[in-house]
Amino acid sequence: MLLLTLLLLPLVGAALLAVWPGLGRMSAVSLATVWSVLPLVLLAAMQFQHTGTGGGVMAEWSLPWMPDANIHLTFSVDGTSCLFLLLTSLVTFSSLGLSARLDIGNRAYCALILVMQSMLCGVFTARHFIPWFLCWEMTLIPAYLLIRLWGGVGAPRAALRFFIVTLGGGVSMLLGFLALQLSVGTMDFAALSQLAAHHELTAGLGRAFVLTGFGGHALLTVVAVAVLLGLAVKIPVVPFHAWLPDAYAEAPTPVTMLLTGLLSKMGVYGLLRVFLPIFPEVLPSLAPWLTALAVATVLLGAVAALAQTDLKRIFAYSSVNHLGYCVLAVAAVAATCADHDAGAAAVSGVVLQAFNHGIIAVVLFFGVGILEVRSGGARGLNDFGGLRANMPVFAGLMGLALLASLGLPGLSGFVGEFLIFYGVFGLVPWSAAVSLIGLLLTAVFLLRLIRKVFHGPLRPSIAKWSDLTRSERWLFAPAIALIIIPGLWPQALLQFINGDTLRLLELLHPFP
Amino acid sequence: MTPAWTIISAFAGALLVLLLPARMAIASRAIALAASLVGAVAAAASCLTRLNNPLDPVWSFDRPWIPGFGIRFHLAADGLALTLLLLTGIVAVAGVLFSWNVERRPRAFFAFFMTIIGGVYGVFLSRDAFLLFVCYEIVILPKYMLIAIWGSTNKEYGAMKLTMYSIGSSALILIGLVVAYAASGGKSFDIAHLASAHYAPALQAWAFPVLFVGFAVLAGMWPFHTWAPTGHVAAPTAASMLLAGVVMKLGAYGALCVALPLFPQGFEQWKPVIAGLALIGIVYGALTALSQKDLKFVIGYSSVSHMGFVLLGIAAGTHWGLRGAVLQMISHGIIAGLLFGIAGRVVYERTHTRDLTELREFDLWRTLPGAAIAFTLATAASMGLPGFSGFVAEISVVIGLWQFSPWLVPVVAFGIVITGAFSLRALHKAFFPVRNSDDAPPSLLPPLTWPEISAISLLIAVSLAIGLYPKPWIVLIDDGLRSPVFHSILSMP
Amino acid sequence: MQLLPEAVLVLTALVLLGAAVAVETQSGKPISKHAAIVIAACGVVLAGLALCYVPVDVDSGKSLIVIDPLAHIFKAVVLGLGLLAVLLPPARGEIPQPGEFYALMLFALTGLLLTTGTNHLLFLFVALELASLSLYLLVGFSRTARAAEASLKYFLFGGVSAAFLLFGLSFLYGFAHSATLAGVADALGAGPPSALAVTGLVMVVVGLGFKLAAAPFHYWAPDVYQGAPATSAALVVAASKVVGMVVLVRFLMLGFHAVSAAGSAAWGGMVAGWSPWLAVLAAVSMVLGNVLALAQTSVRRLLAYSAVANTGYLLVAMSANGASAAGAALFYVIVYGLATLGALAVTAAVERDRGNDSPVAFAGLIHRSPWQAVALLVFLTSLAGIPPLAGFVGKFVLFSAAMAESTKGGTPGLTWLVALAAIMSAISLYYYLSVLKQAFVRDTPDGGNTAAAGPTLSPAHFLAVALPAMALVVLGLFPALLLDPIASALVASLGLR
Repeated sequence: MLLLTLLLLPLVGAALLAVWPGLGRMSAVSLATVWSVLPLVLLAAMQFQHTGTGGGVMAEWSLPWMPDANIHLTFSVDGTSCLFLLLTSLVTFSSLGLSARLDIGNRAYCALILVMQSMLCGVFTARHFIPWFLCWEMTLIPAYLLIRLWGGVGAPRAALRFFIVTLGGGVSMLLGFLALQLSVGTMDFAALSQLAAHHELTAGLGRAFVLTGFGGHALLTVVAVAVLLGLAVKIPVVPFHAWLPDAYAEAPTPVTMLLTGLLSKMGVYGLLRVFLPIFPEVLPSLAPWLTALAVATVLLGAVAALAQTDLKRIFAYSSVNHLGYCVLAVAAVAATCADHDAGAAAVSGVVLQAFNHGIIAVVLFFGVGILEVRSGGARGLNDFGGLRANMPVFAGLMGLALLASLGLPGLSGFVGEFLIFYGVFGLVPWSAAVSLIGLLLTAVFLLRLIRKVFHGPLRPSIAKWSDLTRSERWLFAPAIALIIIPGLWPQALLQFINGDTLRLLELLHPFP
Repeated sequence: MTPAWTIISAFAGALLVLLLPARMAIASRAIALAASLVGAVAAAASCLTRLNNPLDPVWSFDRPWIPGFGIRFHLAADGLALTLLLLTGIVAVAGVLFSWNVERRPRAFFAFFMTIIGGVYGVFLSRDAFLLFVCYEIVILPKYMLIAIWGSTNKEYGAMKLTMYSIGSSALILIGLVVAYAASGGKSFDIAHLASAHYAPALQAWAFPVLFVGFAVLAGMWPFHTWAPTGHVAAPTAASMLLAGVVMKLGAYGALCVALPLFPQGFEQWKPVIAGLALIGIVYGALTALSQKDLKFVIGYSSVSHMGFVLLGIAAGTHWGLRGAVLQMISHGIIAGLLFGIAGRVVYERTHTRDLTELREFDLWRTLPGAAIAFTLATAASMGLPGFSGFVAEISVVIGLWQFSPWLVPVVAFGIVITGAFSLRALHKAFFPVRNSDDAPPSLLPPLTWPEISAISLLIAVSLAIGLYPKPWIVLIDDGLRSPVFHSILSMP
Repeated sequence: MQLLPEAVLVLTALVLLGAAVAVETQSGKPISKHAAIVIAACGVVLAGLALCYVPVDVDSGKSLIVIDPLAHIFKAVVLGLGLLAVLLPPARGEIPQPGEFYALMLFALTGLLLTTGTNHLLFLFVALELASLSLYLLVGFSRTARAAEASLKYFLFGGVSAAFLLFGLSFLYGFAHSATLAGVADALGAGPPSALAVTGLVMVVVGLGFKLAAAPFHYWAPDVYQGAPATSAALVVAASKVVGMVVLVRFLMLGFHAVSAAGSAAWGGMVAGWSPWLAVLAAVSMVLGNVLALAQTSVRRLLAYSAVANTGYLLVAMSANGASAAGAALFYVIVYGLATLGALAVTAAVERDRGNDSPVAFAGLIHRSPWQAVALLVFLTSLAGIPPLAGFVGKFVLFSAAMAESTKGGTPGLTWLVALAAIMSAISLYYYLSVLKQAFVRDTPDGGNTAAAGPTLSPAHFLAVALPAMALVVLGLFPALLLDPIASALVASLGLR
């Protein structure tokens, strides 16, 4: 019940906002901001109730949906989900807080963000394809409307492209799972992975699609590619990233924060929790391709970021680059599980990297937002300079986040990237080696950014800007804490996911 | 409350409205609302009762009517009928709310409206072919009047076309029923009795298509669908809602619950043809909708496309297919009602245009944000996005179709994709137009009124309710599909 | 006692004539229309009361006049329809001598009453001619050119039909050596029908076809419907048609029920006899009537062609040669009579108000006179066969019975005919609806959209519109009220199963 409450709580907030006509614009944003952290309370309560150790399922809720097709709305929270839920609430909270600061949004805006929060919670807890996909697709409408209606001049095109591309990915994923439903009669993630472990997916598909003349393995590959397509679009993996730069740049900054902090994590989460456990039979054959794409994503993201002058676009491509590492690790695990330690490191690294990237992205886009407020909308790389002088606190915090982003030891970014590279080197060394170039490029463009924006002589036009206000600092505070603490004490996060990591590796283990 | 209250309330409402003195004419809408609420509540209560006591015998009312011809006044409500009753009740309530501003001859309007509702209830409850046919035909004249008197664009033409299609299809149904009656010994018109008789295969081979097409015309089966777009466009909002929401369902219901059980062997023989026509309908409707200029035409053709899923489910003839067909009937009833309500009432009454290019000038998102958001949700539901009812229905139909013929599934997928395309196109052009900053600022439009908001919320809530938790609906539909009349269909290889 | 109602009618007619003479000699002016209507209506009502005292008995084969249950029911029906016709008043100045006019109405009714209650060939002819002669006069009574043309056509066609009928009857007598229908049936039962019998039968069918306005013998109908005073036309369309149907049923079901004479009209299984004959007549009537009705610009002519079409539906049932089909046909003809009579009454009111009877004259009727418009809706939709009105039930049982009666070994024989009938019936909605469209959808052209601008009706006219409308609704909801008695009367009177 706690879990159901958690899923529905943001929706209740959205409904409240929708039916409260007298509510002022800004009080709506404030209400939503406060409301968005309420799930954290429930999460804490869940933690408190849960007495078992080493992860495992903390809360579960299930409802028969189409029982005779084995479709149940099953949701459950384990350690990994818990981290993602935490991230969801934090990012939503920051996004709404930034909206208040930027003075955008109204009741509908806040309601849409809360709906999206609820759906994201659903994605991160669903244990059956139908509820998962349901929440997955339901994030689309709020995201679309948020970009379309509160975005910049080019928003209509960007929003439509975002919508169509991700919808196409969704349809492809749906068709893939539908094929599984039709051949083996279930879409439950756990059941499917059990079937996969007994090589029954290939057999079932082969039987059901015997008319096509293909063998079970080929068919399962097709299905896996279909599912992968839906996930890859969301992350996005090169070459499915075409929608991303425009959407990120045209969306209002708080929404961009949501897009990169949360929506892209849906894809990573799906790769880890859905794709890997269900398709171990065909992973080895897909892994080289996936690895190639991941490397391309890492490199292309970094190169593209180098070429940009718009801060938002730089961070957008930097996101592509950072999430590329996650894909890289997944690809490595897919390729081989020969080295158990390396595998565990890679899997843990994916989760940590996803979490940390979300937090860091919050801070970075927050910073862009702050700059936009001060500058009246300008956010070019060359519009600023020497901010360190008159905004020392801001420059310091941003510097911290940027350094975390490029993986400075002691900060959170390092932990994830380290684990990933440790793991990937153990599994597929060449890809790790190539990706190191990406790491270097990341450092180049991030340092360049620090130099251009914060260092150098103070521009006269921006000399009068004041430093962060008290409320702005408070908005920064939780994210900064979450950058520093895991960097010093990674176990704080790892303890959540260790159990899940081992279970995942066990599923993959029987396949060479 | 027994299901009978649905029929009683509708006809009593119609009568009461007619008896109102002229100076109280405006009260007719309140009476209509009350009557349709009673119907909806009765339907909902009956559904709940059935869900809670699934093993009880179904409610029925059986009296001799015309003994010389074995015609009985036989009503019965199994789960399948109950879900459709509930759909009708909901659409009726929403229809009255969307017609709240009818000021021209309101008494006649609501009398015709409630008569249609009563007839629809009657069809869903009838277990006697004669009674079913009576209720089926009662609907024809009020439909004509609603469109011809209160309609818009080409109203008299649209109304006459619809009426002639309806009566023509009724003639086919009449032939089919009378043939079944005669061939089964001329003893009874009870549907169960007619279904249990054995007809010669040669007879079934021609009688089935006659009966089926008779019903399917009203369900908008390609190539007999042409009444649907013109009729929907010409009709006033409430009538479009009723037409697409429930009247098209009459055809589908008849095809499912009369044509199939009566002539199962004929059905077996014609299955591929029906499936083919349904697929053509899905794709053709979607492609045509893609090129329409009038918002209502888009919705009209989308109805053809969506009803194709119903026919496809029926053609599949499997348990999943039939279930999906009924689910799609309900889902489309709700969604089409919503789309027509917004396009015809909310938007048209304020802008006096439905042309997608002209709507651009109004910049509806800024001037009428409530409608824009509602239409976005309706579009999402219509596209079959998960979480809305359409998804549940379409997935069931696809599973059913898979069991029937896997090769057809890709065609359906293509249809779904086109559906997404035309829905988005219409949504964009009508509600979220791209405007240059130097365009003249749009004039302000009056905000949504409370009847509009209530109707929109009601329909969206129902669509979401089905999409998020379809189990009770499935349980009820299966209750109906377990009826002996379907044995011959569902036991086929 | 057996002739009590007829006697009452004749007496009333004499009283009416006497009163008319008395009034005219006293005041120099003819008797007032209203007084004549009241006297005639009282006479018809009294005759109805008298009918209650007539003993009902089955045909013993001895007497000319039979008051079997069938006759009893249909005498009541004819009196009812006659009353409605009497109540429908002629237009101002249309009838110069109301006394004579209504006396003739009563004589015509007497003839029609007598016709329903006999199985004797000769008496049948005499009674029919009594009715017909009165009707010829009634049709031409208003002395306008149109009425004269109508009357002349009606008389000429009627005379020819009477000749056919008489020839036919005499051939039958020559074949059976008996002037009763029972005798004819016996003779047919003894062996295959001779050429004499077949010729007789054909001629009788042609003769009755004229009376019923079956195509191709329908040419008089449009002119009579259009040219005659509404009152006389009402009698022709309703009472006369019902009686024609009763006679046809008596002939076919009693005299020629034997399978050898009936044959079969089944598709691909055609057997010579009167059944295929009637089937062809039915098909021609339905197609011709409906198609020609589509093109009419006068509502009265439209009703005439609809009458032709409806005769077609009736003949569909008859060609199935079965008791339940005959019962259904008798039910339907009553319902049809009520609906057409009512439609004619409304048309007459509109015509007097707007000066013509084109559909355009009906425009805005719902505003001018809402209840008349609603009544018109009832009549026309009943004719089109829309539930819940009696016309729908009538057609449905008609088609069902025709199909069931023609079914042999699980294969319906008359499918082609019933299918044609169903489709034609669907087409008919188009022209009925084109009238209703004017009445309900369009506005009055000159803006007279108020109740004050509408026609005001005399109480008698009101009854002539309201009573059939109510009857159609009641019979639509409870058809068994009339269907069951007819069915049992057929069994009792004609000895059918």
